Amino acid sequence: MAYLVTFHWGWLLASLLMGLAMGWIAVVHRGQGVSMALARWLAALVAVLLAAALARVIPGRPGYWLDLGLVMLTCYLLGCAAGSWLRDRMLARNTRAT
Amino acid sequence: MHGLFRWSSKWWPGLVPLVVLWAIAAWTSTSPLEADLAARSAGALKDTVLDKTRIEVFGRDVTVAADAFSEEGRRGAVASVEAVPGVRLVNDETQLVPRASPFVWTAERDVVRVTLGGDAPLPATKGRLLGKARADLGGVEVVDRMNLSRGAPPRFDDAASLLIDQIGKLKDGKFAITDTKVSLSGMARDLGGREAIAAALKNLPEGFSVAANEIKAPPYVFQAYKDPVALTLTLTGYVPDNNAHTALAAAAARKFFSEKVVDNLKSSVGAPAGFASAVVPALGALSRLSTGTLVVSDREVKLSGDALYDAAVAQIRAGLAKDFPVGWQVNADISVKPAAAPVDSTVCQQLFSDLLAKGKIRFESARATIDPDSAGLLDRLIETALRCPTANIEIAGHTDSDGEDSSNQALSEKRAQAVLDYLVKAGLPADRFTATGYGSAQPIASNDTDEGKAQNRRIDFLVR
Repeated sequence: MAYLVTFHWGWLLASLLMGLAMGWIAVVHRGQGVSMALARWLAALVAVLLAAALARVIPGRPGYWLDLGLVMLTCYLLGCAAGSWLRDRMLARNTRAT
Repeated sequence: MHGLFRWSSKWWPGLVPLVVLWAIAAWTSTSPLEADLAARSAGALKDTVLDKTRIEVFGRDVTVAADAFSEEGRRGAVASVEAVPGVRLVNDETQLVPRASPFVWTAERDVVRVTLGGDAPLPATKGRLLGKARADLGGVEVVDRMNLSRGAPPRFDDAASLLIDQIGKLKDGKFAITDTKVSLSGMARDLGGREAIAAALKNLPEGFSVAANEIKAPPYVFQAYKDPVALTLTLTGYVPDNNAHTALAAAAARKFFSEKVVDNLKSSVGAPAGFASAVVPALGALSRLSTGTLVVSDREVKLSGDALYDAAVAQIRAGLAKDFPVGWQVNADISVKPAAAPVDSTVCQQLFSDLLAKGKIRFESARATIDPDSAGLLDRLIETALRCPTANIEIAGHTDSDGEDSSNQALSEKRAQAVLDYLVKAGLPADRFTATGYGSAQPIASNDTDEGKAQNRRIDFLVR
């Protein structure tokens, strides 16, 4: 993992920034969110992929691509969470100020 | 926390560019990553002794194929690749090199090249042996046909190095180490090479032994050529050592009374047993020939040339058959020199005087037995006597003044008679010769010095 981070830090940073931006937008976004059922399915899919990666069952290049994808997804999600939280904090302060 | 859950339902649109980003990242980073991991894995294996190492990387999975020389080495190699950061899985395709039983290593020399073959224990050993062979045999092509195998005996490197040091002494042949047995065959380059190799084999490392040493040496050659025109005796070839050299040169000087000895002999080890006791009588036989060549090659003696008269041929042959050590082969190709034209008595006397001025008939001290070294001179005297068939010849014996007159008189008579007998045995008619002893009554030099005495001890031939 440490090796992936040092080798791919540019891509991971890009994922993080993309997540940060998406999280920033999501707080005030009025569009349709993912339904609960689909969210469960997606979570299950990610769990399965994570399990496959940890168990190292997918060999060779596809295995590497899976690892890379999961690490990028993690960075994206962390970025999203940070973005949303920051935006929420900012909105809350503005509300209190007015 | 609830908010985070609510916001997360709206994070999905970013996944689309993320997937695009992921695809680009996967597309561009796979090859550099694989190259990086391959380099790191190769670096991790640098200190492990392996052969035929092959590293393939797919994604983060490394396939290591190699021949290892021990089980620990094999496991260590896999473990060190597994420890490389970033490597996810190691596909272990390593194997142990085959065990050779028996473990056979060979070094073969022919006219143009040296071929190292058979089994070698480690790549480093193989490289060292090849390097050593190339350094020792500058200019000779060294071919590597060695396979790596396990099962080498302890101290194999030292034994193989020692044999490579010796291969320069071979003209052609083969050295082999079979487990701890060393066998050698072939032909040494120089005289003494065989002995030098045998001596070096005494330094084989502990545990090794010589199973067979069939190195042959080139023939040990000694040659002598008697040239009647230049009046020289030319000696070429080899003698065992300086003592033998001196003894042989002295024997040649005694036997060849009128020839100058040209000594081109060299000392070398490797002489066959009984060399000196074979060459000295062979030189004696050569001294009785008018012109002739003596070739001694190992234990084979070839004598060819012309004897001075008929009876000498049989005498020389009989002498050669009798005088040689056991195991020696003698091949005498002797013809008879055409008889020279008869001369009158005056010339005959002159010829006798000339011969006896150059050499003296020698006897054993205080006895009447003719020294074999005088055979050459006697043959010349006989040849001369045959040229004057009508002359009556007196054989006169003289002594120095040492001792009593009566015993000197008796000795001089006996010696003259011994010479007469020798002449008769050679086929001359007894009635043409008389043997007379003069004791010390007719000195030709002073008896006060050893040199004078030596001149006074003599046999004269007087034509009457």
